Amino acid sequence: MELLSNLAHGFSVAMSMDNLIFALLGALIGTAIGVLPGIGPVATISLLLPVTFGQPATTAIIMLAGIYYGAQYGGSTTAILLNLPGEVSSVVTALDGYKMARRGRAGAALTIAACGSFFAGSVATLLVAWSGPALTSVALSFGPADYFSLMLLGLIISAVLAQGSVLKSIAMVVLGVALGLVGTDVQTGQQRFTFGVPELSDGLGFVSIAMGIFGIGEIILNLERPEARSVMSGKVGSLWLTREEFRRSVPSVLRGTVVGSVLGILPGGGAALSAFGSYMMERKLSKYGHEFGNGAIEGVAGPESANNAAAQTSFIPLLTLGIPANAVMALMVGALIIQGIQPGPRMVEAQPDLFWGLICSMWIGNLMLLVINLPLIGMWVKLLAVPYKYLYPAILVFCAIGVYSLNNSVFDVYQTLFFGILGYIFSKLRMEAAPLLIGFVLGPMMEEHLRRAMLLSRGDPTIFVERPISATLIVLCAITLLAMLLPGLRKGKDKALAE
Amino acid sequence: MKVGVKDLWAGGILIFLALLGLFINGGLLGIGLESHALGTARRMGPGYMPMLVFWLQLGLGCLVVFNAFSNGPDPLERWTKLDLTTLAISVSSGVILWRVMEAIGLNNNYIQVGAPCFVAMAVLAISPAWRPLGLVLASFAIFGLLLEPLGLILALVGLCVVSALADRDHNPVSVIGMTVSLCIICWFVFIYELDIRVPLWPTIF
Repeated sequence: MELLSNLAHGFSVAMSMDNLIFALLGALIGTAIGVLPGIGPVATISLLLPVTFGQPATTAIIMLAGIYYGAQYGGSTTAILLNLPGEVSSVVTALDGYKMARRGRAGAALTIAACGSFFAGSVATLLVAWSGPALTSVALSFGPADYFSLMLLGLIISAVLAQGSVLKSIAMVVLGVALGLVGTDVQTGQQRFTFGVPELSDGLGFVSIAMGIFGIGEIILNLERPEARSVMSGKVGSLWLTREEFRRSVPSVLRGTVVGSVLGILPGGGAALSAFGSYMMERKLSKYGHEFGNGAIEGVAGPESANNAAAQTSFIPLLTLGIPANAVMALMVGALIIQGIQPGPRMVEAQPDLFWGLICSMWIGNLMLLVINLPLIGMWVKLLAVPYKYLYPAILVFCAIGVYSLNNSVFDVYQTLFFGILGYIFSKLRMEAAPLLIGFVLGPMMEEHLRRAMLLSRGDPTIFVERPISATLIVLCAITLLAMLLPGLRKGKDKALAE
Repeated sequence: MKVGVKDLWAGGILIFLALLGLFINGGLLGIGLESHALGTARRMGPGYMPMLVFWLQLGLGCLVVFNAFSNGPDPLERWTKLDLTTLAISVSSGVILWRVMEAIGLNNNYIQVGAPCFVAMAVLAISPAWRPLGLVLASFAIFGLLLEPLGLILALVGLCVVSALADRDHNPVSVIGMTVSLCIICWFVFIYELDIRVPLWPTIF
């Protein structure tokens, strides 16, 4: 019953005029950037972070969350209609969705994508509401050593699940932690790696790193390989599913919801991975596996449900433990900290408005997206007519003013420029930037917990294996790392990500 | 040879940064700046965590390099002579300008960072392969340079014009149209709605 009263409170927060407007705004922006290839949720959220400072924390997070799950809806639209996935998470949707569109069933594919996403989003939202307080009470019994091990596990899994070489991803996590060292040492007040620059005493700018690497770096790469835009094939057709299509897609939606919910919680998981996972699973489990690649509706229903479920459940580790599961969640941590809220297990108790308001607004946002997407599909497709040559200067302008307004300092503009160069080099050398961002966010917290744990244990590192919670987590870390050394598993992962 | 050149570079960068970090932090095998006290495992000083992190990064960097010898071939894109020359001129012109500005004392408000950045990036854009990189970053630098002395509008104009050069599809009319509309949008969003504190028009006169 407590859940119900909490949810009622959440709805009262989420239904306030401001929060409704900003949820809608987030959903609209999310859909728009989902439709547009070349700009993703990470870049957009870092772009809009400075804009949200004026708002109360709850409103700001509601809007940023809307962008993330809105992008999952929007990404599928272009994947189906144009074989042009707007987001990584809808790459697999394009495989069968576009084939359906070629057969004249684009409408059906769009409907099942939106309805499946809505169903999955609702289930996953309930899961967040139900598991949040439960996990929080567990997390409150964590000591510094346990926290350190938990973050270590999070970092390792996020590196292992990232695209590309595991070794390089782990190295990027460590590099991220190293970048997080810059600034004032919390315990002694000494300046570390600041080179006498006063602006660096608060550390490297989080927004600058995210915008530089994900915003500016991306723009340069997009300009280097101009892509020919394909033209829309045929008409959308009827939005209604046939009875046969409906019957075939129901089990896929259910399975996709489960896969997405589970993979979303894992650090490093999130929307893209679960869409791939669900597609693989559908191809194995579905009776119509042989039709995959030729316009099987299961290949749209499963992954689309999975990516949206994951977009919701990836909030669980953030809201309960304060640990970001992927780069978008790392940005949310940044947004919360800038608002003066320390993410962690105490957040549910200390910020009930934020926690329950966000959960309820996610559900409302999903409902809005259903309405935004299906009847208005034509409008979103028109958005693709905006050429990239107008889009990228606009992104640059927003980036530039946004970073400047953080501290009213030109220093941040040049800092962003520097990370733009770095992001460009990283992607040329295939060094994944997402693990770096997670490492950057978690690094300072890890140092804090490490120092506290070692102080408590009088300098004895065995504390990490003596406490049962921490020991379990350390064993999990070891298993994860060892599993990646097995050639079979590694190949399996490469294959799954390559397709 | 099946050498993964990309991994070789990636590992090299990691090793370089790790060694640099160790050098500044607590010294590397006795040589270095030793700027942060290490402390003990029980009472970690400000240098303890950096030491752990950079040693770990050094080890991982070495592993990446080691791996590079078996996972190739993975070559970088070919650099032409023009690419290399412009890169060399770009870096050296940036450094020289930095030195000159240091000598004549032009170093308030990070103009000493912005101006060399802009010049270096503009030079880099001479070579077609570097053009998107050079122009996008140059447009960012010119925004930083113009913003405080000349105000938001002129800084935006600079950013739009320089960045538009990076795309061949732009013509003068489209650039003017885009610049005007972006200025109006930014005025509305950032000045009218969000009220950020930045001069709109030149303040130096």
